[in-house]
Order: sequence, then C-alpha cells, then structure tokens
Amino acid sequence: MSFEQDKAEILDACIKCSACTAMCPVAAVNPLFPGPKILGPDAERFRLEGLQIGTTLSYYCSKCKTCEITCPSGVKITEMITRAQEDAKMSEGGKTLQFSIRDYLFGRAEYLGKLATVLPGLTNVLLKAPLFRQILEQTLGICSEAPLPAYHTKFETAEKDRKSKKQVVYFPGCFVTYNDPLTGQAIVKVLKHNGYEVIVPPFHCCGTPLEGNGYLREAQETAKKNLALMEPYMRAGIPLITGCTSCGLALREYPGLAESASELQAYDLFEFLWELQERNEFRKDFKDIQVSLGYHSSCHLKAQGIGTPSVRLLRLIPGVQVTDLDQGCCGLSGSYGFKKEKYHTAMQIGKPLFNRVRQGAANSEFQSVITECGGCQVQIRHGSGIETVHPVWVLMQAYGFFQLLSSGRHASSELV
Amino acid sequence: MWDGIIIGGGLAGLIAGIRASERGKHVLIISEGAGSLTYSSGALNFGDVVQLRSRENHPYALIEENVIQAGMDYFQKLFPDYQGVCGRTQTLFTPLGSPRTANIIPSGQNAAVLQDAKRIVLMAPEGMKDFFSKIIKTNLKICYPQCIVDIYPFRISAFEAWHAIGKPVTGMEYARYWQSGPGIAELKRVLAGVTITCSETVVLFPGLATAFSEPLKEVLSETPFPVIEMTSFPPSAGGHNLYNALKQKFKSLGGELLMGTGVQRIELQEKECRKAIVSSKGRPTAFAAHSFILATGGILGGGIEVTAEAAQETLLGLPLYVPAEWTKSEFLGEQPYAHTGIEADSDLRPVDPGTKEVLFENLRVAGRMLAHWDPWTDNCGGGVSLTSGWYAGEKL
Ligand SMILES: Cc1cc2nc3c(=O)[nH]c(=O)nc-3n(C[C@H](O)[C@H](O)[C@H](O)COP(=O)(O)OP(=O)(O)OC[C@H]3O[C@@H](n4cnc5c(N)ncnc54)[C@H](O)[C@@H]3O)c2cc1C
Ligand code: SF4
Ligand code: SF4
Repeated sequence: MSFEQDKAEILDACIKCSACTAMCPVAAVNPLFPGPKILGPDAERFRLEGLQIGTTLSYYCSKCKTCEITCPSGVKITEMITRAQEDAKMSEGGKTLQFSIRDYLFGRAEYLGKLATVLPGLTNVLLKAPLFRQILEQTLGICSEAPLPAYHTKFETAEKDRKSKKQVVYFPGCFVTYNDPLTGQAIVKVLKHNGYEVIVPPFHCCGTPLEGNGYLREAQETAKKNLALMEPYMRAGIPLITGCTSCGLALREYPGLAESASELQAYDLFEFLWELQERNEFRKDFKDIQVSLGYHSSCHLKAQGIGTPSVRLLRLIPGVQVTDLDQGCCGLSGSYGFKKEKYHTAMQIGKPLFNRVRQGAANSEFQSVITECGGCQVQIRHGSGIETVHPVWVLMQAYGFFQLLSSGRHASSELV
Repeated sequence: MWDGIIIGGGLAGLIAGIRASERGKHVLIISEGAGSLTYSSGALNFGDVVQLRSRENHPYALIEENVIQAGMDYFQKLFPDYQGVCGRTQTLFTPLGSPRTANIIPSGQNAAVLQDAKRIVLMAPEGMKDFFSKIIKTNLKICYPQCIVDIYPFRISAFEAWHAIGKPVTGMEYARYWQSGPGIAELKRVLAGVTITCSETVVLFPGLATAFSEPLKEVLSETPFPVIEMTSFPPSAGGHNLYNALKQKFKSLGGELLMGTGVQRIELQEKECRKAIVSSKGRPTAFAAHSFILATGGILGGGIEVTAEAAQETLLGLPLYVPAEWTKSEFLGEQPYAHTGIEADSDLRPVDPGTKEVLFENLRVAGRMLAHWDPWTDNCGGGVSLTSGWYAGEKL
C-alpha cells in the first residue's frame, strides 16, 4: 500500500466535523464502534507517535468507504484504518482462535477454490445444506445465512504462442476462476471481438482476500509470484486486463512491490475498452437491444479513481438505459459479510442499496442490476432478490453473442 | 472526449454540471472531497445583490443582474423544497436558537410562523451533541418575548445503547434516523406526545431535516402545530441532504462523478486546457475535454494553498489577487484574506490581475475560487457559488 505523501499534511485536512462518523453504517448500528473520525485521523496522530489505539474494534470497519465519500475535505480515512490494522496484525492484536482460523481460510480464496472445484457439484450441495452451514457457523464462525457463492468447473487458463500484434493478458481472479467462469469466457470473447489475442497465464490469487483478512506479508508474496508470471508480457509492453474490481485495485498497487513492476499496465476491462473508444478502435456493431439497468459501483472500483467506465461505455449502445444507483456499499466487503459476528452489520450496511434496487425493479425503472464486482453481485442478489450480473453481459448481448440477459445467463451453449 | 470537465464537486461545480448536462453536454466532475455544503446549514445567502454589484470587482459585478435572478430561479425549480425570493430574506434558526436570515432556505426551516406564536415547544433529544437547550431557551425568550418557552425532553429506544455508554449522538445521526422507516414511525409517536396547551403553539425541532423526504414531510403536515427544523453545527444534515440531491440530479442527467480522487495537473496547449490528469491508484489517468471549469473551493476547498510565504492556485498556478494586508485584528469583522482568488472576465474566464488579459480560452472559474468577495461579511456564500456555477454551466 502506497502512503508516501506527507502524513501530517493529510491529517491537517481533517477539520473534526464528524460527518464521516455520522454517516458510517457500522457506527450507526454499533455504538461501541468508535467510528471513522476516531479510528482514522484522530488515532492517526497517536500512531504517528508509535501508539496503537482501538485496534480490536477497528476490525469491525467493513472498508465500505462511506466515510471517505462523505468527508468534505477528502481525508483518506479507510486507508488510515487499513494501515493501522496491518500494523496491529504485525504485532498480533486481538482475535480469537476460531476467528483466526476462519480469517486464515477466507484469506486463501485460491486454495478454497481449488478444493471446491474438484467436485463443484458436491461443494454446492454441501453449501446449500442447512446442517453443513450450521456446522460451518459453529466451528468456523461463518454465518449460516450468508450468501456463500456457488462453485463451477474451473475457468481454464490459456497461453498461446504470440502471433497477433494486438495482445492483452487477462487476469481472471478467483471469483471468475472458481465461481463464475462464464463471465471469464465472456470477457475473453469481447476482447477477441475487438481484435485482441487474449493470453491467460496460470495466475494466483491477486492477494486482496489475504490483505482483507490481515495477511499483508502473504499477500505481497502472492503478488510477487504473479509479477513473475507477468514479467515477459510486461517487458513486451502488453497490458494486463481484469474484469474484477478488487483484483484491479490490487494489480494497480503492484508497482509499489518490485522495481520491474513499474512497467505494469493494469487496466479495468471497461477502462481499457473506453481507451479503445477514445482512439476510435472500439467495435460498435451493436444490435438494437432494449434493456434498462441499475448500476452499482463497487467500493474497490471507486478506490481506483478511474470513474465508472462501464456506464460510459454501455450508454453508447442504442436502447440501453443505465441508472447509477449511487447508494454506497453493498456491505459484503469481500468476506466481511460471511462472518457470523458481522453478517447482520453487513446486511444493515447494504440496506439502502437493497431498498433502492427493489424500488427501481418494482416501478420498472430497470430490470436487472449490473456491477463489476463478483462479491457485490452475490450480495445484491441475496439482499434484494434481483438478478445482478457483470456489465460485460450487456456487451455480449449487444454484440449478439448471447440472448436475454437474465434468463439465459447460464446457457453456456450460446457462448463461443 | 468530454464536452466539459469540472474540477471540484461542491455547490458551484455541481450546479455547473447539472446545468451543462441539462443542456445536453457530456460532463465529468472530478472531486477530491464532498465540498463545504456538509459544513453549512443548507440555507443559501445571496447578500445585498444591488449593493454588491456596485462593487467594482465583486463576482456579482462580473455577470448581469438577470443572471443572478435566473440562477436563483433555476435552483428553486430544481428543488421545490427550497423557497426564496431575490431581494427578500427569510428567517431561520441558528443552532443556538437565535434567528438569522437567508434568501433561499429549505421550507422546513422557515421560522416565519413564530411571529404569531404564543408558545414555543423546544424538542430536546436525549444526549444530542452540540445541543444546548438552556441557551436556546434564553435566546428564544429574548427574541420572542410574547411566547412561553417549554423544553420537551424525549428519548427513543434506537439510541439507548448510546446513552448507556454515555456516547453523544450528533444532530446528523438523529436526522438520519428520522429518515429511516422505523424513524418515521418513531417521529410520529414522539410528536403525538406533545400536548397543546394553547392554539398558537409552534414546535422547534433540532436534528431533523425533512427536505427531499416525502414521508417526513407528510408526517409534519399531519401535526396539529407547525414544526420548525433548527440548523445545526457541522456536520449538518441539511447541507448534506442538499449535497446528495445535487449529486443525484447530476447523475440522473447522465453526468459522471469521479469522487475521492483529485486532479493532479492540467495538460495545456498554448492558451487551451486539454486534459485533466487524475491521480488514479497506481497510474495517473488522463481525461480530455473541450472545456473546463475550475470550482476547487478556494482556501477551504483546497484550490488555493497558503504557505507562510505565499498563496498559490494549486492546479495551474494561475495568478491570484492577494490583498496587501492579509488579516485585521477584529476577529469576526472583515478579513482581507477572504478576498484572495482568481480574477475573471464577464465570461468567468481567468484573467491576469495586472494586464486583465484572458489566460485560458476554454477555462471558467466558479464559486469560492473567484476573487474579491468575503462570504461572511458580504453574506453571499451560497449566492456567489450558485450563480457563478450556474453561469459557468450555461456557458460551457
Ligand atoms: C461552516 C460553513 C458555513 C456556511 N454557511 C453558509 C450559509 O449559511 N449560507 C450560505 O449562503 N453559505 C454558507 N457557506 C458558504 C458556502 O457553503 C460556500 O460558499 C460554497 O458552498 C462554496 O462552494 P464551492 O463549490 O465554491 O466550494 P467547495 O464546496 O469548497 O467545493 C470545492 C471542491 O473542490 C474539491 N477540490 C479541491 N481541489 C481539488 C483538486 N485538485 N481536484 C479535485 N477536486 C478538488 C474539494 O474537495 C471540494 O469538494 C458556509 C460555508 C462554511 C464552510
Ligand atoms: S469504511 Fe465504512 S465501516 Fe469503515 S469507518 Fe468508514 S464508513 Fe465506517
Ligand atoms: S468527515 Fe473528514 S474532516 Fe470531518 S471529521 Fe471525518 S475525516 Fe475529519
């Protein structure tokens, strides 16, 4: 995590107005949670002096970034809290053994995925079985009501020999690899349609789940393994593209890890497609489709500071209406909402969003929801009951590769 | 390529974005923070427009008088929950219970009915931060000697856990709770508990902001007495709600808002701005546009940086008007430093303070970035930001 700006200067931007705490969804349901002002800029003063305060309670922060969006002065509150958690982790601050084991597992989405996709059918049956979920809750503290995503046959990597001049490397990420391979195929398809050869090396997890569960060192080691895999492409100046906003955020932070990584050109899928559009290279052989969509911007997309390129791009398609839902965090925050002591807080955080989605669907403002983040998709479906997919499916439909956004979602035969 | 990029998403930038989008322009607003509306009450002061226009360099003097009127009308058409007439002020309450005036205010804050009141009931929510019921009562008695003032303390179960550990609840937290489903029912219950001992009773309610909430307005329309919302110290629910409404309006018109990331610099080509370079995570992103608006909020917003040596415009290093004398000893009096800012022509394009030569053809300046005004002593903070923002959006 890069935090090399003048820390004191950032602190001085805080005028102590408390707007952040007033809007924090966790502080709203848990009075013991000191809130962003105290855990962020206030405690930061002590941390600059080497004093750690409020570390145990800081784990209740879901990193939803509502505080940062509210702050009139643009204080990077969540960044401060995350860093404090990492520092506390280094000195092993307060978690029970049960939660430590669970957080260890959630941090390793890649291994969980590998294990689960040996027999995805069996995994899914188990994950739906109430008894098994009770056991998970009792033993590991994984909430039995939480919407754990289903597993699919693994997304296969493909390293072709490089013939075409226009090439990109695709980083699928754990969610696509183990839970949603069809979206991975759709992304590859769209890139190919725009004239790109797509290379998919056997990447590891991006590191975000490790970081989110407090395993910063392990996250950096995984990142370095990915960088080694990316090395030859990086040298050839081939961009790295991902459709997952959490992977995207992590990949953008890689350049802080190794010297060679400074050449890494990491793009969000739609950011890349928008650049093609700006260069007049984006294919617009669209069918006229009539769809209205609600768009949810994930926290990790907001943190990238690139705006909402998917909304921009999808609005180029005739007949497509996109409404920005503008309701903050869905509450899941990676694996936060799966944890038994946090599930209800997570649902509370997501409530304004779920209400907005339900209301929009009820009065026919839109039919389904799109968001880049796999976690948000799972949580919005769980909280609102409305179909939620990756925005690449709208492009798939417009290009005529795919019928009916909602019902035909898993008809893989229609792909390719 | 955008038609326009607006740097700074406070009152000025958002109004500019809304107006330009409405005119069919493709607009991107880039803003580091949410701007100063959350600090302010949400009421907008225009000041004495005629007198201020007679001051040679005041922002109002740069634009036609009808533009000021048009900006004001435009705002009220956008948000019918806000009321006001040019040249006439309305009364509302400070957080300490003394009356003040402003030109456009959320209807719920309008205190006009108090002129004919005989009894004021001051609602006193348990454990509310920065709420001083005794001081307010004293002030009310001074200003409305014809009235009996009763304090009505109440507590609600939603904040019991807060009271139990002695944690104060801000007015903004109360206001947020009233807006929720359970909060609306609770508010009805609380208001039903107020007894009417005389027919000219008026209820004064701190930590409540009904603008933009249909269910809340409905609750208040059903009470047998008028309810007046009080403004609060920062953070303020009134200002925050206005900010959200502006943001949503802009987005619903197809505008894109990039929040939480600042513009690092602007790429130039001779006398034209070309691209805004944004400090995205890891690698900067360039956004190109035909036209730009600088609404970065002056010293408080971060658009002007003041060091011991000098004041500097942070993005383009535009030359600033800086008063010779920086401060005056009278703390609440006129402070010359407030006049620091960018001088502009009648199209709001930045000019050199010496030669008056236009510096960039496709850049306009709005809001607190403009020179020669003091929002406090001129009493026109919202007015200048609103009208200059509206005009910049009209011209984009
Ligand atoms: C405490 C307080 C109370 C007030 N009360 C009243 C009142 O009662 N009545 C009234 O009429 N007025 C009031 N005002 C004044 C009024 O609110 C302001 O004049 C007005 O909101 C200023 O708007 P602005 O858009 O010019 O600036 P701001 O709201 O400051 O917005 C500037 C924005 O630019 C962003 N920014 C800065 N640099 C960059 C960069 N490099 N890149 C991207 N973004 C950047 C900032 O983050 C900020 O969001 C009050 C102000 C304050 C502070
Ligand atoms: S990131 Fe979200 S949960 Fe954490 S302090 Fe900020 S608002 Fe609260
Ligand atoms: S909202 Fe920003 S300025 Fe206000 S207390 Fe929080 S961090 Fe400080």
